[in-house]
Amino acid sequence: MSSQADRQTSVPVDAVDVVSPADAEASEAAPAVLTVRGLTISVRDLELVSDVDLSVGPGERVGLIGESGSGKSLTALGILGLLPEDVTAAGSVRLSGIDHDLIGAGERRLSRVRGNHLAMVFQEPMTALNPTMRIADQVAEAMLVHRTQSNRRTARAAAVELLDRVQLTGIARAYPHQLSGGQRQRVVLAIALANDPALLICDEPTTALDVTVQAMVLDLILRGVTARDSALLFITHDLAVVATICQRVLVMYGGRVVESGPVREVFTNPRHRYTEGLLAASDLEAADSGPVGTSEPVRRRLPTIQGTVPAAGHFPDGCVFRTRCPHATEVCAERPPWTGDQTRGFACHHPAGADDV
Amino acid sequence: MPELYRLPRPTDRPPAVDPVIKVTDVTRDYPRPRTSLLKRAEVVHALRGVSLEVQPGERFGIVGESGCGKSTLLRIIAALDRPTSGRVVVDGTDITRLPERRLRFLRENLQLVFQDPMSSLDPRMRVRDIIAEPLVVQGHPASGARVRELLDAVGLSADAGDRYPHQFSGGQRQRISIARALAPNPKILVADEPVSALDVSVRAQVLNLISDLVDELDLTLVFVSHDLSVVKHVCDRVAVMHAGEIVETGTTGEVYAAPRHPYTRRLVAAIPTIPKALAGATPEDLLTPPKGAPR
Repeated sequence: MSSQADRQTSVPVDAVDVVSPADAEASEAAPAVLTVRGLTISVRDLELVSDVDLSVGPGERVGLIGESGSGKSLTALGILGLLPEDVTAAGSVRLSGIDHDLIGAGERRLSRVRGNHLAMVFQEPMTALNPTMRIADQVAEAMLVHRTQSNRRTARAAAVELLDRVQLTGIARAYPHQLSGGQRQRVVLAIALANDPALLICDEPTTALDVTVQAMVLDLILRGVTARDSALLFITHDLAVVATICQRVLVMYGGRVVESGPVREVFTNPRHRYTEGLLAASDLEAADSGPVGTSEPVRRRLPTIQGTVPAAGHFPDGCVFRTRCPHATEVCAERPPWTGDQTRGFACHHPAGADDV
Repeated sequence: MPELYRLPRPTDRPPAVDPVIKVTDVTRDYPRPRTSLLKRAEVVHALRGVSLEVQPGERFGIVGESGCGKSTLLRIIAALDRPTSGRVVVDGTDITRLPERRLRFLRENLQLVFQDPMSSLDPRMRVRDIIAEPLVVQGHPASGARVRELLDAVGLSADAGDRYPHQFSGGQRQRISIARALAPNPKILVADEPVSALDVSVRAQVLNLISDLVDELDLTLVFVSHDLSVVKHVCDRVAVMHAGEIVETGTTGEVYAAPRHPYTRRLVAAIPTIPKALAGATPEDLLTPPKGAPR
């Protein structure tokens, strides 16, 4: 099977996990691949994303989690410079190897970066592919546009090779509509990886897929980035997926980063009440092991975060989460300061796991 | 996990109770368009001899990937499609060859909740009209009181009835779908991937809601999902479908903890969980079912 061959040629996945703590430390010393400072995205006078700081080290895999409407995708689009017309971004987005700030750069300069140094996999693979082009041509196009392959013939050969790598062998001449959702997503992944980007951004790449297909796509994403030593920014609302693929995680709510840290720490010892709520709501296993000893059939209820994400512009001032937080007090009307440092910290007046609550 | 077995198992039930849904050896073939004048058209075997029984009051799950035939099976149970062969008995009546005009009892007793709450709600209708529609169609008086009662049951405020579906979030729309399904007081609620399009926190809310309503209204639940961990949380018993066949059935706890069929093992292994991931599972581990699993 080709998958077997792949496994032998690419970097062993286990090896990556062994070096991961070292990576996290190295990221402080080595210049980060992506450095975002004070990214604020607004439409007219409404702030949708406020003051997001984020950095991704070389080869590091960072997750960005939160509910729909938290500003995750907007942050990604802001980094890529793909915001809609009337939406503006302020702050600074620097990519290593690029001598200018991505914010405020013109379309001409940005389009040289996009798909080359910086690539993205979108949630909906059907809208990301051109329905009238054969898939190999679409992969080849990415390389021809950025002149990483000199002519059509070598680009095509490279495209077929890339498609092989994502286990799409022998269907290079297919059109997108002939493929299943998982296959389409792998084509999008092949396009994104075509130019060995320094940073790959994935926006909910597996949300629309079955679990078995999801496992395969996650595996291919991980192989793809480790083989190229690319950094990964992975956006999802599925905490288990982030835990599987990422080393560090940022939790967003109401357009702000409310907590960040290494996956293991954040998921075993969440400090922000929002993170705590998300973890409880997604843990179907824990909810199943309810109180033992009762004989009658008791249904375990899942813990939920009360209420829903407010519409943009209707988040409270102060702590954005206080309208849904069971621990909120008057103090929360003030914006909580960031506790901790760049790598591990949270913004909450009443952090979970603290004794003085 | 002994606590999982606290629920009465189907085998423990008195055998006198007739199953509320009984599917016997159902097949469904879809002909594909002809590609040649000389050759016969190809046939897709969507279901290949599916049999299952759902007891009254049971929460029954159906798990499988896209394309495994689970939606076809649901459509046949709801008499929205006819089997090529086999028999479907719902609530004691054979619906297999029943004409539409005699399916009224089924339309009242069996209601559906679909995956995509946007495309299953008419964008031009107010929420109160959407919820009242099943009543109107079946000739019942659709009173405002009943609509308010339903809105309240699914946790929406009474003024939600005056608004349109686009004014609601995904989770709220799914609540509207559930309210509509409950309008004619059904005995059986069939949910086709009702939480697959939702965020984790909203998913938890909707799962709790479905669970509560099934208890309160004494419904039989048929819950379809591709995610076995969700089915395990909601259902007592589960059937695993693969390529148009049921490859394994059992109590959800048993199937999840000790899957027998190789496909089920793959399915269980592929579910990412936080504990698994923190124990160091990589995506590659999700692709490979553990060795030494029970036969």
